[in-house]
Amino acid sequence: MAIIEVSNLKKSYGNLDVLKQITFEVNKKDVVAVIGPSGSGKSTMLRSLVHLEEIDGGSIRVADDYLVKDGVYSKPQDLKKITSRMGMVFQHFNLFPHLTVTENLEVAPRMLKRESPVAIRHRSTELLKKIGLTNRADAYPANLSGGQKQRVAIARALMLNPEILLFDEPTSALDPELTGEVLKVMKDLAEEHMTMVIVTHEMGFAKDVANRVLFMDNGQIIESGHPDDLLTNPQHDRTRAFLNRSFN
Amino acid sequence: MKQNRISFGNPVLFVEEQFMSADYFKTIIVPMLQGAETTILLFLIAIAVSIPLGFLLTLAVRSKFKPLSLLCQGYIHLMRGTPLLLQLLFICFGLPLIPGIGQYLVLDRFVAAALGFTLNYAAYFAEIFRGGLLAIDKGQYEASKVLGLSRWQTTRKIILPQMFRIALPAVANESVTLVKDTALLYAVAVPELLHFAETAVNRDFTIMPFFYAGVIYLIITFVLSMFFRWLERRFKFE
Repeated sequence: MAIIEVSNLKKSYGNLDVLKQITFEVNKKDVVAVIGPSGSGKSTMLRSLVHLEEIDGGSIRVADDYLVKDGVYSKPQDLKKITSRMGMVFQHFNLFPHLTVTENLEVAPRMLKRESPVAIRHRSTELLKKIGLTNRADAYPANLSGGQKQRVAIARALMLNPEILLFDEPTSALDPELTGEVLKVMKDLAEEHMTMVIVTHEMGFAKDVANRVLFMDNGQIIESGHPDDLLTNPQHDRTRAFLNRSFN
Repeated sequence: MKQNRISFGNPVLFVEEQFMSADYFKTIIVPMLQGAETTILLFLIAIAVSIPLGFLLTLAVRSKFKPLSLLCQGYIHLMRGTPLLLQLLFICFGLPLIPGIGQYLVLDRFVAAALGFTLNYAAYFAEIFRGGLLAIDKGQYEASKVLGLSRWQTTRKIILPQMFRIALPAVANESVTLVKDTALLYAVAVPELLHFAETAVNRDFTIMPFFYAGVIYLIITFVLSMFFRWLERRFKFE
């Protein structure tokens, strides 16, 4: 059974339909890259999965529970439990500027009190090692490079042991020479079979790491498939036009 | 008249030697320091109460309960839109004139003044904090939500620390203004620093007490500014 099932997702701002009947599934261990032009609804779709956007119709199921079914949201107390299966990494990192790197990692687990402080510290130390920032543990975000900030943001999302990680254009705010270090961390996660949905403009990364690509345009999924097929031999004109623009 | 003419015409002459002496300084500095004590006490009370009160006002203004929000907005506008001097005079001399209940509203002058300053400054601090909240990126709320923090946890751990940090320079500025505004106590006849200086000036026909008063204000505001500088460095987050 798919771990995320989205069907007939609809959202509009006034007269503008930003999502029109979006339907797709994400299986466990999938790495799904979502590509498409700006304003195509990619980010809105991703954000609606963690309830940062309210949708107007359709269903989102995560594991065994419906976040929203036929346009009706679950009870408020259940929403949090359902979205807690997912971690999110933002384009602009959204690190907490008044907290050190370690505190950024630990603030949520400590507040949620699901684990002991010792276990939390153990995990944050481990994750900092994994992203290669052990020596920056006590630094504030202001003193980190963009690439380091985004790596910290990924580690922060991992602190809560999510089953699925969502990335909203994780490298779009970075200088080109800093994207590599972030993509490397994401690639490592893919190799550990983390389930990931990544809204991205990095076609090379999508080709290398994703096992499925969704092309969105104008609030719809136009085409989806394995990156080798979709990126090299797209079936739709719009996909072809977009890819031509992206690769040139 | 003669003395005045000399004073304006020749600044060296009016600072008569006897008032420059250490003896005169000693006799006058004691009451002035007592006045300064009142000034500082009023400042401390006003700042200690008006900052938390201002913060509560900010929260109330942002409340989803409209009547509360509107009431507090009205309060802020009232306090910022009328002179502090008028408010002080109203509390000290106006309240006791209210028919029926006025007799119960005769407050000690200092208490009345402290109340006036607190109510007035709370409105200013509320606006400063509101500005601080507006400056916080919405990404901070989104990250907190996705990490599973409740609204209250988000407010307490993520938003408020940042709000206070952003508001710090404006709070420092407002605090220095408060120190100087304590001179308004003069108008409601609470003997504070400026009152003693003026008394001495009139009594002794010398300008020196004004200088002393100025220096004491400068020392207080300097210490205060240093304190806030320290706070800003301490919470630089770099």
